[in-house]
Amino acid sequence: MTQPPPIPAANGRDLASSRLLETLNVLGVYILVAGLFAIGCAVSRQFLTPDNLLNALRSVALMGIVAVGVAFITYSRHYVDLSIPGIMALSGTVAVWALQYGIVASLAAGLAAGLVIGIINGLVVGYLRLNPIIWTLAMMSILSGVIRWAYAGRQIYPDAATAAGRAFLDLYHHAVFGVVPLPLVILPIAAAVGHVVMRHTGYGAALKLTGSNYEVARLSGVHVRGVVAGAFAISALASGVAGIFLTSFNKVGAVYIGEGYDFKTITAVVLGGMTLAGGRGNIAGVLGGVMAIALMSNVMSLVRIGDFTIGQFAQNIVQGAVFILVVGVNSFSRRKAGRDDA
Amino acid sequence: MTFRWTTAMGLIVALATVLGCQDEKKNTQTPADRAAALAESLAVDVSGLKSADNQPLIIMDTSPLKAPPRAADSTKLPEEDPLRWYDMEYAGWDCKKVNLPKSPADGAKGKHVMCLRHMDHPYTTAYTRGMEKVAKAYGIHLKTLTAGNADVNIQSQQIDQVINERPDLAIVFPVDATAVVPMLRKLNKAGIPVIASNLLPVDQGMPFVLTWTGPDDWGQFRMLAREFAEKMNHEGGYCIVRHMPGSSCFFSRTFSVVSELKKIAPKMKCLDMQTTMLQAEKTAEVVSGWITKYGPQLKGIVSADDSGAQIGINEACKNAGREAIVRVAAGNSKVGMDFIKAGSLHAITYQSPEADGALPMKLAAEWFNGKTDLKPVYYLPKHVITAKDVDDYLPAQW
Repeated sequence: MTQPPPIPAANGRDLASSRLLETLNVLGVYILVAGLFAIGCAVSRQFLTPDNLLNALRSVALMGIVAVGVAFITYSRHYVDLSIPGIMALSGTVAVWALQYGIVASLAAGLAAGLVIGIINGLVVGYLRLNPIIWTLAMMSILSGVIRWAYAGRQIYPDAATAAGRAFLDLYHHAVFGVVPLPLVILPIAAAVGHVVMRHTGYGAALKLTGSNYEVARLSGVHVRGVVAGAFAISALASGVAGIFLTSFNKVGAVYIGEGYDFKTITAVVLGGMTLAGGRGNIAGVLGGVMAIALMSNVMSLVRIGDFTIGQFAQNIVQGAVFILVVGVNSFSRRKAGRDDA
Repeated sequence: MTFRWTTAMGLIVALATVLGCQDEKKNTQTPADRAAALAESLAVDVSGLKSADNQPLIIMDTSPLKAPPRAADSTKLPEEDPLRWYDMEYAGWDCKKVNLPKSPADGAKGKHVMCLRHMDHPYTTAYTRGMEKVAKAYGIHLKTLTAGNADVNIQSQQIDQVINERPDLAIVFPVDATAVVPMLRKLNKAGIPVIASNLLPVDQGMPFVLTWTGPDDWGQFRMLAREFAEKMNHEGGYCIVRHMPGSSCFFSRTFSVVSELKKIAPKMKCLDMQTTMLQAEKTAEVVSGWITKYGPQLKGIVSADDSGAQIGINEACKNAGREAIVRVAAGNSKVGMDFIKAGSLHAITYQSPEADGALPMKLAAEWFNGKTDLKPVYYLPKHVITAKDVDDYLPAQW
């Protein structure tokens, strides 16, 4: 990737206020996390047990990995990649197919498959300037058709009789030091890498400028098309990683692997303070958004007053309502501030 | 203007002539030809066909249909009362058929059948495989359409396509039990014979179909509930992972268990029930919550699915060190049967997708052969698979 030219220095006061706003955004989600934590403690004595908290985190580890990738797209002001479920399914299915060549080849093939789709998405959205929502929606449909066609509508299973098959099936369940599940180790690593790339590289600076104002970035000499393409590639790579883990968990390569991950991850991203208008937010906030979703879901599932419990439908409504609320408040405040918004 | 009109009229006359000729062509068979075709069709024997699991392909429950008396207002009954679900379980058992087309009674060979499936899924792939085997044996031309990802609107458009193509019979695997009613009525009005399959339409749709075939979800799950109660020693709390909302299984695989256990094991208590959209990860999260919330009270889990949902259930039990929780599920996928063999799942129902697809095609062939006394519903046989006989059902069909 070409190094972008130095970005014009912003007014010191503007920069400080922008950073403050961003910090407040991130703080906001952690205040929500703390609030949910307190509610959890009040709702159930079992909430504050290591098993329960581990379960809550485990349930969002893969979503967190995908969210770190999606954050790059949102940061670039291209909203989200709706082909995420298809990329996850494709990566997992290709990985299962490639098990015949060994576990390393399987993982490499799965990741490569996801990355190729990300590059295609990036080229089309970044270079041809097609609407990201429309294009990635179409890509989702194509991927779904391709997977069904390739395997004649069947599911493919890792062969547990082979060493590679067993290694693949154990991948999701592998515990680092015998305690921490592998996806929970991958998540902070992905987040750390994401943070460094977004905050401490030329690409990250170019991405911020592109997301904040595409035209200004372009006129400043930033290779905006490549920057946007890169965001889609990064997102696809993260989706590919999560897709392989999810396939290992499900013990099957199938077209439905990854269903729902598009909405869940964008909810975490915006909840974490990253605006759909681009150029704002950070990975720490996204992690906060992921934790908030984990706790929200966990707390609601623990509520038990006599025979009253909160069912799945209510949980879906709450999650959707939170998304609308966060995006609505964000949009309103930006309009009030006289800024154009998504 | 005159030229245009003349041309248009000419085209209409030409089209009518062509269509008329086609119609005439269809009816050119002499009574002797028809008798020969019928004899040839009647001679076809499909009883030896096998499913991929080496079980017989053509199977049906031959026990007589006997419905209990219906309560005056079943909606007022408690959910634990089986009669509360009367209209769902016995839909169409006692309906008066309307405007049913007459059997051609000239054999199945060369007939065109269209099958409208609800979605692409490994189950429906196996279902179609079973249907194709029977169609091939009878020399029936089969065309299948899929309603996207279980999209009612797409299925509705496909009904129009069926009416345009005018096959000799349509097999409809509904997306939705209620939304399919106007579609069945439309096909009936168009004079196209229909067999509904797998998902039982609500009562109002049943007058328009020759018959319905599919699994007896209510009966199957009562049988599974008895096996579950046995393993639970007829006591303890249990939870239910439900099927997808909108499907008939959402109710049948929940309330058949609840009502049966209420009757045979009153010491068993349903602690919770939730849908997880049959997703492994979501199920693991929900079941982990149950294990935390209900602790040792939770002794058993019933699942509407033995693949994705069961993976989540087993994961949660394993993570919590609660592998003694008794687990039963609707089956019988490869994943579920592997779990049975591994001992992490006690019992599953036997539901052969190939047989599910084969049965409506077999009845279609019989109808082409002149069979008119079709029962309102044909169930697949009920069976519960445990470690004792799981090997008889391997390799899995999907």
